[in-house]
Amino acid sequence: MIIDLHSHSVRSDDGRARVATYCQWIRKRAVALDGLVLTEHRQFDDESDYRALEDEFGLLIMKASEVETDYGHVLVFGVNDDLRAALDLERIDLDLRQLLRWAERTGAVAVPCHPGRPRVGMCAHYEELGPVDGVEVVEVYNGGSRAGEDEAALALAEKYGYRGIGGSDAHLVSQIGSCATRFAREIHGIDDVVSALREGAFEAIACR
Amino acid sequence: MQIEDIKKNWVGHEFDVATFEVREADVLEYASSVAESEPRFTDPADPDFQAMETFPARFVSRRVLPESFPRLGSRGFDAGKTVNAYGPIRPGDVLTAKSKIADAYEKTGRSGPMVFLVHRMEFENQDGDLVSVVDWRMVRQPDPE
Repeated sequence: MIIDLHSHSVRSDDGRARVATYCQWIRKRAVALDGLVLTEHRQFDDESDYRALEDEFGLLIMKASEVETDYGHVLVFGVNDDLRAALDLERIDLDLRQLLRWAERTGAVAVPCHPGRPRVGMCAHYEELGPVDGVEVVEVYNGGSRAGEDEAALALAEKYGYRGIGGSDAHLVSQIGSCATRFAREIHGIDDVVSALREGAFEAIACR
Repeated sequence: MQIEDIKKNWVGHEFDVATFEVREADVLEYASSVAESEPRFTDPADPDFQAMETFPARFVSRRVLPESFPRLGSRGFDAGKTVNAYGPIRPGDVLTAKSKIADAYEKTGRSGPMVFLVHRMEFENQDGDLVSVVDWRMVRQPDPE
């Protein structure tokens, strides 16, 4: 199954796409996706209910978060009440080590995204602050990357033995599915994504 | 933390009231500028003639930020406007717009840390009906050290 693990809707302050329009676009343009994960900035959206859209379009629509840490931006899959009680997802200065610990403790997975991006990617912080134990997966293909950013992410993953995911980082409808992740197992919901990320049976794909 | 102070002391603070007359020529010019072709926006003879929903975004308040608002750095940029329409705006209407700071939040990006300020203008017509809310996001960036 192919899932876009990184996307934003109008729930994010800079998102310009409605989820229904993502679905329409995916079907109309025959985008090769079985589903998408909405990773809204600095929040977890527990209000929106996309089940009707899932049924109408035959797509999996899951929710996660993109948070901001001292090592750059990080996707968190499997956000739950325990994690939210421990960490204020709105902060822009979360401690990555603490985030990784809490993710492990509460059954979530933290994945640094666009690590090759200046200022908000992990590579620059690794050079300055050194590597962080506990990182196992990073985003190696990001649809919003500029020249050289994905290459830096791939080099980082190779150097430290990280597995790689892909995500479009879509903020506009036409960007959805530009990068994604192919899973070897069936995915039925966010718990399956978390399990699959822990197991490692996936690969990042770029469709640009 | 400065953002906490701004949230506590400034979010919700109303700092300007301004009135705007909606002129037919401006409504037509606006529709023309975006190549609109629907008659209710382009033809004064249409029985439902009105301004396009995004029309109020052209109006600006007398102040961008409240007096004595903290200085957040000399760099910044316009992060766009969101318009929510609640009723028709027609030529001849007189709109009253109240401005307030609706939100303030931080984020980090390629260019470094940023503070986003949301300047909200709520437009009521001459009958007191809320017709539009325009959120203008402004970014302020701290000066380099």
